[in-house]
Amino acid sequence: MLQIRALSRRFGEVQAVDDVSFSVTPGRVTGFVGANGAGKTTTMRMILGVLAPTAGEVLWDGAPITVEQRRRIGYMPEERGLYPRMKLAEQLVFLGRLHGADSASAERRADELLDHFDLGTRRDDLLDSMSLGNQQRVQIAAALIHRPEALVLDEPFSGLDPVAVDQMVSLLTDEADDIPLLFSSHQLDLVERLCDDLVILAEGRVVVAGRVADLQAASSERVRVTFDDSDAAWLRDLRGVDVLDVDGTTALVELDGITRSALLSAAVDRAPVNEFTVVRQPLSDIYREVIG
Amino acid sequence: MNASASTPAWRIVAEREITTKIRAKSFRYGLLAMAVAIVAVVVLSAVLGGRPSDDTVGVVDAAGSSAVAGASSMADKARGGSSVTAKQFTSVAAAERAVRDGDVDAALLPDRRGYEVVGNSSIDPSLSQYLSTATSAAVLQSNAKAQDIDLGQLSDGTQVQERLLDPDASNSDQRRLAGIVFVVLFYITAVTFGMTIAQSVVQEKESRVVEILAAAIPVRALLWGKVVGTTALALGQIVVLVGIGVAGLAITGKTELLALVGAAAGWGVVFFALGFIALAGLWAVAGSIASRTEDLQSTTMPGQALLFGPYLLAVAGGATVKTVVSMVPIASAMLMPVRLAEGDVPGWQLAVAVAGNLVAIVVLVRFAARIYQRTLMRTERKIGYKEAFTLAE
Repeated sequence: MLQIRALSRRFGEVQAVDDVSFSVTPGRVTGFVGANGAGKTTTMRMILGVLAPTAGEVLWDGAPITVEQRRRIGYMPEERGLYPRMKLAEQLVFLGRLHGADSASAERRADELLDHFDLGTRRDDLLDSMSLGNQQRVQIAAALIHRPEALVLDEPFSGLDPVAVDQMVSLLTDEADDIPLLFSSHQLDLVERLCDDLVILAEGRVVVAGRVADLQAASSERVRVTFDDSDAAWLRDLRGVDVLDVDGTTALVELDGITRSALLSAAVDRAPVNEFTVVRQPLSDIYREVIG
Repeated sequence: MNASASTPAWRIVAEREITTKIRAKSFRYGLLAMAVAIVAVVVLSAVLGGRPSDDTVGVVDAAGSSAVAGASSMADKARGGSSVTAKQFTSVAAAERAVRDGDVDAALLPDRRGYEVVGNSSIDPSLSQYLSTATSAAVLQSNAKAQDIDLGQLSDGTQVQERLLDPDASNSDQRRLAGIVFVVLFYITAVTFGMTIAQSVVQEKESRVVEILAAAIPVRALLWGKVVGTTALALGQIVVLVGIGVAGLAITGKTELLALVGAAAGWGVVFFALGFIALAGLWAVAGSIASRTEDLQSTTMPGQALLFGPYLLAVAGGATVKTVVSMVPIASAMLMPVRLAEGDVPGWQLAVAVAGNLVAIVVLVRFAARIYQRTLMRTERKIGYKEAFTLAE
């Protein structure tokens, strides 16, 4: 378990991170969301020890994290970077050894990761001979080369094409099966797809932290109703219902004092119902609500 | 993956520095060029300094033969290993033909007044001198005997001897040349590998890989790895080149010079290592306060100046200045080998120079490590030295 306790960082007059606390639980994926400049990267750098905090601490299983424990974290910085004039496999093995792996296992692991990204045949190519998308794949491999005991990934999906995103998602769900995984992203649909837990940061402070399921449950329930061939606009007149959107025979409503079954019977009484779906509130809406 | 049993991080970094450099064409060609230059200097000095000669002189009588034998021992005394050999001919004409054909270097032939040294178009002046001196001595001896004169008594008190106050200075030109070769070698190697450290640091900043490295290992381990790896490379180059020079002197038979310069070479390697390590941290700082490779031009100025100053002094400085500066840390790397090559250096001065370097290593490397740590992660722009000193971590 990776715990961030009351971390703060000040750059001159600017309080970049202000008393941030949250936990990253093994086996659960934690999404780290916030506007540009909210303090996500600064927080991640402090977790890795690349940047010293002004106050607060990072804990690993309840005790202050040590250099050796940090060495076993896999990290993908926001500013990507590897050695441009070094061969892929050699580069990965070097980084793996720096993280404490021995040469032989780092070598095996490098081949395994390159194969996963279909880069096995290019293991002896120089990094700067690769396309940007492939360089990004190697960057991810670099974060995983030493079989990390925790993963901290800063915007891992930015700049990836959809195929690469899928490769990455499948790899991460395999790898992070039983380790803490924290990743930041602006792509809220991906965060929703992947994350079990969510931390939203605004102006250096945590505004929301918790399970995605709980956050969605806490917000008002939404239902989409579609009638066979009658206009759905009449729902606006129904009490206890807040109509968010009407498009011909379909309406999206928020339940505001009425139960789901009461709404269903009212609808069936009015006209034949073709579809009645409970809609979870998208994370993007939750995000906008807390940030707005 | 057992981290506790793994290789220390600084060693992994050092290994990468070494393998990357050795694979670089610029390094291999640079080393080759310097090796060729050293061989050229050795060969050149052998040619200029003169190798032992081996001349053959045609003679037609027994007196000629014994005069040539005398000339041979004179030649050997003047230039170790040299010899003059007599070749017997039956007639003056036959001997002259041999001179003309180049079969012999000269001929020592009797004429009406005594003897003449016969050459084709020219005669080696030393050979001519040895032959005439040996001949007149031999003839004088036999004349004296014929008139029953005691030659020893006659020549008593006429001997003029040479006595040199500084016999080692006899090959002072060559020793000076050896000293300059040391300085140039050390200067080029120190600057080249100093720049290697600075470049290696700034390239990691420029490519941003530094953040992954800093997250994986302590920044100090990264610095140590670079210092150790590059020092090993620089020292390796120096040892190889000095080795080539020493082997060259041995092969060309300059054993006398080798005995004098050999100690200087050994000390030179020691001083180079000490001076290079003392300065290595500053080169790393030059890289870490830069944000792009182009910034190195200005950020490496202090390092370059700290080497160029002593270099100039070593080549053109006066004796007193050299003596004082040769005990100053870093500068000693270039000035001590020169002084040692040119003449003896008192032991206490060597001790002061070594001790000064050791202190400088401790102070400078610790200081550099702090600045390096503070500035390494600031990738956005170049930082001035003044600002770097006052930055908080």
